[in-house]
Parts: sequence; C-alpha cells; structure tokens
Amino acid sequence: MAAVDFSQPARQSSKGILVIFGVKAFKFIKSFFILFVAYGISMLQKKQLGISLGWIIFGFVLVILLLLVFSILKYLNFKFHVSADDFHLDTGVINKDNTVIPKSKIQNVYIKQNFLQQLINVVSLNIETAGDNKSEIEISALDKSTALALKTQLFTKIQADVAAEDLPKEADVFFKVSLKRLLMEGISQNHFKSFLIIVSFFFGLYSEFEKYLKELRLSERIEGAVRLDEQSLFNLFLVNLFLIVVLLLVSLVFSVVQTLVVNFNLEVLERERTLEIHKGLFNKMSLTLTPSRIQNLVIKTNRVKAYFNLYSLSVKQAMVNKKQQKNFTIVAMEKVQIDHLLNKLLESYSEETETHKPAPYYKRILWLRLVLIFAVLSGPAFLIFGNDFWLINLVFLLFGLVFVHYKFKKTYYQISEAHLTIGGGFIDTITNILETHKIQALQFKQTFFQKRNGIASVVVSTASKTVVIPYIKATDAKRIYDYLLFCVESQDRDWM
Amino acid sequence: MFTNTQIDTNALPQIDQVELHPIDKAYLKIIVINKLLVYGVIVLALILAKLFLVDVLIQSYFWLLAAAVGLLCLSNFMLALLAFKKRMYALRDKDVIYAHGLLIHRLTTVPISRIQHIETSRSWLSRQFGLATLNIYTAGESGSDLSIKGLSEAEATRINDFLSTTVNGGS
Repeated sequence: MAAVDFSQPARQSSKGILVIFGVKAFKFIKSFFILFVAYGISMLQKKQLGISLGWIIFGFVLVILLLLVFSILKYLNFKFHVSADDFHLDTGVINKDNTVIPKSKIQNVYIKQNFLQQLINVVSLNIETAGDNKSEIEISALDKSTALALKTQLFTKIQADVAAEDLPKEADVFFKVSLKRLLMEGISQNHFKSFLIIVSFFFGLYSEFEKYLKELRLSERIEGAVRLDEQSLFNLFLVNLFLIVVLLLVSLVFSVVQTLVVNFNLEVLERERTLEIHKGLFNKMSLTLTPSRIQNLVIKTNRVKAYFNLYSLSVKQAMVNKKQQKNFTIVAMEKVQIDHLLNKLLESYSEETETHKPAPYYKRILWLRLVLIFAVLSGPAFLIFGNDFWLINLVFLLFGLVFVHYKFKKTYYQISEAHLTIGGGFIDTITNILETHKIQALQFKQTFFQKRNGIASVVVSTASKTVVIPYIKATDAKRIYDYLLFCVESQDRDWM
Repeated sequence: MFTNTQIDTNALPQIDQVELHPIDKAYLKIIVINKLLVYGVIVLALILAKLFLVDVLIQSYFWLLAAAVGLLCLSNFMLALLAFKKRMYALRDKDVIYAHGLLIHRLTTVPISRIQHIETSRSWLSRQFGLATLNIYTAGESGSDLSIKGLSEAEATRINDFLSTTVNGGS
C-alpha cells in the first residue's frame, strides 16, 4: 500500500459521484415508493390520474438529472486531508463546512462496502468520534488500498500503542464461519423476535395497501373466502392456525436470511493486540476491536445452539454509537474459540470462580410479575372466550412453572477481583462479563418489601451497559458493593 | 464468600459505616411548593369545571372527584415527607455516595476517578432559598449519573471544589 500522500486536500475517487448518486436515488425511490405503486396500479386499471405518462417520464428524468448534478457538485466540494495531528474535511455545496478532527479524538475507523460499492470496487471509510452521532464522517468512495493507508495514517502517532504498530503485520485468520454453521445459527435462533417483526410488517403492509386492495376487489374476495369458512368456529381456528404457521415459516426464513446476509463470510482476524471482524454480503464491513475500549462481553447461546456448539459473542465498547454497537457480534463460534477470545480480550479470565445464586425470593418476584401481566390479560380473555378463559389460565400456569424454573436456574453470578460474571436468560442462555476496573458506578437497590425480607439488588454500570445482580441477600449485596468499590478504587486503572 | 482469600472482605471499608448527611432542610419547602403548584392547578381546574360546566357527570361526581384528589394529595405529601428523610449524601476519599427513595431505596456510589464532569445548577426557586443541585456525570449510561438536589450553595461549592481538585489531581 506504499505511501499515499494525504497531506494535500484531495477528493475521493471519482467513482464517488456514482456512489453519492446511487444513495440519493435509492433514498428518493424509497420515499416515493408508495406513489409509484399507486400510479402503477391506476395505470393497470386504465384509469388516468390526470397526468399523462409522458409528463411522468419527463418529471422522472428531471429528478434524475437534478440528483446527478447535485451529486457531482457534492463530489467536487468534498475534500479531505490529513495533517500531522488532525484530519481536515471540507464539504458543502451552498453552505461550506470545514471540519477538523484531532487524531487523538478519533475513536473508531470503519471500512464498509455496500452493494453498489462492491460493484464498482470502492469502499467507504467512516470516522467516528466520541460525542453524538452527528459527528460521524463518511468518505463514500476510496480504493481499498487508499482506505487502508488512510486508516493507518489516522491511527499513527496518537494511538501508536494500540492499532498502528499492529496494522502492518499480516494477521492470522482466527475464525472463519462456514456456510453450514451459519445456516444452523440462523435456524436455531430465537424466532420470536423475527415473528413479531413479520407480524407487524404484515399488518403495516395490509393497512398501507388496504385502499389499493379494495380497488382491486381483492378484499371482497378474501372476505368472501373467509365468510365461507366462518360457518364453524373450528374452521376459523384452522384458518388462524394456518396463518400463524405460515407467518412462523416466513419468520424462520426471515431469520435465516437475515443471519446469512449480515454475517456472510464472517471472518475474525487476530493481530497481536487487536481483533478485526469482516462480514456482510451486501454491506461488507470491517471493524477493529481494541481490548482497552471493551466494557462488557455478552455470550449468548440457547439449548439447541449449545447442542450444536454454537455460541455468539457481543462486544460492547465505549464511545461507539448504538447502531454500530450491534455489528460487534461474532456468531456461530465454538466454545473453544469463545474461551480463546475471552482469554485474549480479558486478562486472566477463568470460569473456575465460585458460583452464587440469587435468593429464592427471586422466584416470588418472577411469579408476581407474571401474575400482574396475566391479570391484565385476563380481562380481554374473559370477554372473548367467556368462562373458558380458565383453560387459558391452565396453559399460563404451565408456562409460568417452566419460565420461573428456567429463569431461576439460569441466573447466577461470579465475582473475582478482576471480573464480574452474571448469567441469565430464559430461552437464551446469556452470560455477561465485565472487568471490575471498568465499573463507572454502583447502586444498591432495595424496595420497601425487599427491606423487610432482607433482599436487595446491586446495579453495576459501565460505560456501555448496565447489569444487575438480582435479588440476593442484603448482607451479601452490601459485601459485594463494598468489595467491587474496593476493586475499582484500589486498582487505580483507567477504564479506557 | 469470595474465592480470592488474599483480602479479608470484613476489613474492607463498609458502606454501612459511612455517616450519611441529610440534605438541607430548606429543600423540603421547595418540594412542598412544587407539589402545591401541581395540586393547585388540579384543584383550580376542578372548581372551574364545577362552576362553568353543565355536564351532569362532573356535577354529580364532583365531591367524589374532590375526595379522590384530596386523598391522592395527602398520600403524596406523606410519602414525600417520609422520603425526604431518605435523601442523604456522603463524600469519601475515593467516592461520592447518594441515597434516596422510600418505596425503592437506591444507594448510588460513583468513584471519583470515574467522574467525567461536575455541574452545579440553581433554579430560580432554589436561589430564593440559597440551594443548589450538584450533578455528577460519569461515562456510563444516564442511570449512573448522580444528581444531588437540595444542597446549600456553600456546601455545593465546597463539594464541587473538592471533587474538581481530586479529579484533576488524580489524572
């Protein structure tokens, strides 16, 4: 990647025009999508909206031209360069903006590649600083080698201790996901979430197109079909069951496809001190993990996944915006690999520490919450099903037994001088790990009723996540509180 | 109870032994005034409704509504009074402690080395009583920030100065 000179103000690769234009056009089409569909449908029905096809095409071409001109202007006015200590950026067609970012304030540099960028073989480089999300800068078209060189330059000097000396070396590929494991990961996911997304999408779509459906007389046909089935309650039940099964299948496919697309070709490179993650099918990205910035580690699996030896690791870093935070997840790893990463990212982590459970009072709290939720649900259930709602109560009772049993079984905590580990989850098995010297604040929390029972919780906050040691004996909670404070204050180490 | 036996956990400084200071009594007046304002508006609305609305529902249930509001007001004041005693704070060499809450009692500690910045704010009302609020921000989520309300101005400045010098001296 030799020496690329960044000291003079330079534009990005001229392919940038295409990228900017592509993004703008995509946004335009997305926001006027409904209008297009409406026009298309009315065309199908040979009804005119008072605007002829010729005018529509003219308007379309005009908009495309305007977008193109704007893209070119934007490209021409987008210049950046790197000085000894700062990164400079000049943008703006009408309002000129000059942004200066001191190298020391740069938190993360990502290299990403969306579908269009993959086609024309450029990458975008994102520079993230601490502070609000608006401070993020994106250079949308650079050659890959230029981007890497720029990344190296941005990291030189200031963060020499971390990234720069690591970068030039060739890294070992530590983990590369196989398609089979990725598929298994997708299938064994907790589908409840994607089911909800699909259902809401379905209803959203339905209400969006209700008008057009009516025009096409589809709704009448559907209603007619439903009316036939409504002759018996059983048939209605079957229809609903069928609908739910279909939606479940769709959500399964959705989960699998989503997992595949996001994590396609997932690769973890191991450098001396940092880790690099590459992944994505349409949006390729590469991310760098720096151990010193890591605040929390979350390991997730579930019963099925554990059987197939599938574990995922989410890394919560400080000073990373919420949207980006999601991307720091490595899925479909084996247990051995997780252990290896834990050892790399945390100093001397061992799971041999003594395990403690919450007090049995926790079960009572869980039941109380369930009963509250159910009391609220019982009202409508009574109205719909009449006296049969007791049957649902029975189902609920079974669910409650299973829920409380597993929830309690999976909750535990471990404390050593350097680490705090908290386990939890109901369907998923979630393990939260944090280093004690990264704790920002501690809270001892006790309700009026818990006080009488001698129960309390300890809330532990780091810069990126808050975890709770739930419902333990108040005396234990106080000792943990004192002990963790001692760990934070005696170590005298920086949290970042 | 901890595996690491090198440290005698009983010998650690204990949170129970910290002597917590109550906040300035004058702050109770501010709480009362704020609550009075809220309930004043509600009562005023009720009375206006009674006088000017011909809606039968309001007219027939007025006293019930008034009683409900009165009860709510009374219990709210009682709780606020009792909870006021729970608002305590303390400073140690290495951390700041703030406790509050009656129904849900929270005792929060922020190590001084984790403080990002400190802010003293005075609202118009608290200026009349010579009070100030001390906000202590960490890098953590909003739940880990401390806001100690109802300190006397002198005390707030003193704590602010102490924390500032310690934070700056430490790094």
